[in-house]
Amino acid sequence: MLIKLDDIRRYYKVGTEEVHALNGVSFEVAKGEWLAIIGQSGSGKSTLMNVMGCLDTPTAGRYWLNGKDVSHMSDNELADIRNKEIGFIFQTFQLLPRETALGNVELPLIYRGMRARERRERARSALEQVGLGHRMTHRPNELSGGQRQRVAIARALVTEPSLLLADEPTGNLDSTTGQEIIGLFEELYRAGHTICLVTHEPTLAARCPRAIRLSDGLIVKDGPGPEVALDGRTERARIAAAAT
Amino acid sequence: MSLRVDLLEGGRIAVRTLGVNRLRTALTLTAVGIGVATLLAIVGIIQGLNGAFARQLASLGTASLNISRRPFVVTGDWWRYRNRKQITLAQMQAVAEQSRYATAVVPEVNEESKDLTAGDQTVSQVDVVGTLADYQQIWGYEVTAGRFLTDADSDAEQQVAVLGSDVAEQLFPGRSPLGGYVRLDNRPYRVIGVLEKKGQILGQSMDLVLIVPFKTFLAVYGKRDFQVDVGVADPSLLDKAEDDIVGILRRVRSVPPGEPDDFSVNRTEQLADTYKQLTGALYGVAVGVGLITLLVGGIGIMNIMLVSVRERTREIGIRRALGARQRTIVVQFLLEASLVSAVGGAIGTAVGLGMAKLVSLVTSLAAAVQPLTVVGGVLFAALVGLIFGIWPAARAARLDPVEALRYE
Repeated sequence: MLIKLDDIRRYYKVGTEEVHALNGVSFEVAKGEWLAIIGQSGSGKSTLMNVMGCLDTPTAGRYWLNGKDVSHMSDNELADIRNKEIGFIFQTFQLLPRETALGNVELPLIYRGMRARERRERARSALEQVGLGHRMTHRPNELSGGQRQRVAIARALVTEPSLLLADEPTGNLDSTTGQEIIGLFEELYRAGHTICLVTHEPTLAARCPRAIRLSDGLIVKDGPGPEVALDGRTERARIAAAAT
Repeated sequence: MSLRVDLLEGGRIAVRTLGVNRLRTALTLTAVGIGVATLLAIVGIIQGLNGAFARQLASLGTASLNISRRPFVVTGDWWRYRNRKQITLAQMQAVAEQSRYATAVVPEVNEESKDLTAGDQTVSQVDVVGTLADYQQIWGYEVTAGRFLTDADSDAEQQVAVLGSDVAEQLFPGRSPLGGYVRLDNRPYRVIGVLEKKGQILGQSMDLVLIVPFKTFLAVYGKRDFQVDVGVADPSLLDKAEDDIVGILRRVRSVPPGEPDDFSVNRTEQLADTYKQLTGALYGVAVGVGLITLLVGGIGIMNIMLVSVRERTREIGIRRALGARQRTIVVQFLLEASLVSAVGGAIGTAVGLGMAKLVSLVTSLAAAVQPLTVVGGVLFAALVGLIFGIWPAARAARLDPVEALRYE
């Protein structure tokens, strides 16, 4: 298994109150799977994504990523794991505004200590892979939303991570562009990448082979995408979703 | 990831960031620059002063000792020296004959702040010295016209005088004073020589002097306490010469063993020490002012860096998500702070040097800045940036990546 979560809990202190964001989440993800994590806001899906992305550590429970127990690593170790194992794709793209597309894609390789020539070469080919070979020297503000997200995907791919972690990747895009991005994810899935997509949109989750539904920090359903995503919907909604 | 990568990447970001907020960078630079400029100008002026003083002191003759009842510089307990026995000619003679290091020994008596006239010309504030021929050698006087005194002039109590260059210029403007007469306390002295210019020490002319034969002086002004000037072959022998002379004088003045000396052996170095004490205090105050200015600049840098950290919270979050360690972020912001400071320091150094130069042009103070001071100025400024960057950098590094990514 590429990913194994065992009874992951995450509690926060907000003032005097303790918020239970994750209440014991366990699941496994095999290499090459495409998984959606779906849930209402406040269901704990963002917290889960932060834990899976090694941006946050669980209060309790164990998390194995690519054979390593990362649940209690130090800050430095987590930084290295993020650099090596995770490719982040955010709703708001999270590109550095002053860097060109190429510079943004090179960034994780810089932190890996790669030589300039090799990292430029790899960043270039990653941008070509997402169809932005002609936009490498543009800055984010000179690019459309869809292009920005492609730069972000190239940045996630360039380190050849074991997990692509996407947080509402189409949330800031119009529906056509969103479809294009999802199309890109499908390509990556077919190419063998492991993808975890966090979303609140059932239609999006329905396109994933597998989905997990979270509610109040617990997994309430785990199964094929369309089944989990469209759980409890009317037949009409199901048909509408299938049509997209 | 290696520190080398941190430094390279941090440096690249720092250079780039400087160019982005030009106005802000310029203001921060100015703050540090003023501090460094002030500090450097002050250091330059004081170094210049010290250099000039040292040169002037050297021109006085460094290989000489002075024996008198009192030290050159009397601090406290002045009354202790009043009851000391006078130094006699016989004692002086003993030093001249017995000291292995003394190359010349002469007595010296002084009348200070005298008025001199020649025809209708007057000069005041003249130091009148009564002494013998070897005085010239001991103090390194050159004669530009005529001759110096001889011991025979003294024995015959000749009414002759050698003029300091300022005296000569003011009493005999545009003509040679040789063979002319100067009047001192209503007595005429025939001018037999003129001395080479010596310049000023601490703003006092060393050329407002009139040198007359020792015995002539005593005949006019009466027997009085005198000092003894001793010439030594080489400045490195001064310590040995002093020990030697102290031994001789204790013997001839019958100072019992265990009692302190009842005379003083002085050196021009002691003048230098006093000078250093005086300027040292001034130095301290001035450098303090410069440091406070730098402190203000440093706080300015800290302020700017805190703003910068806040503005770039998202950027920090992104970098952390992509694998930057805390140290990477610390290095990035520290480099930025020290780079701004160093550039400010470089500009300040240039301005400070200009200010010091200006001062030396406009006033008689000679400002000089040693090359090392310049390097020091830039490095010091960078250090100020580094120190005042620590807190903002630490704050940046301690940001929670999740929070930072969410920051609007």
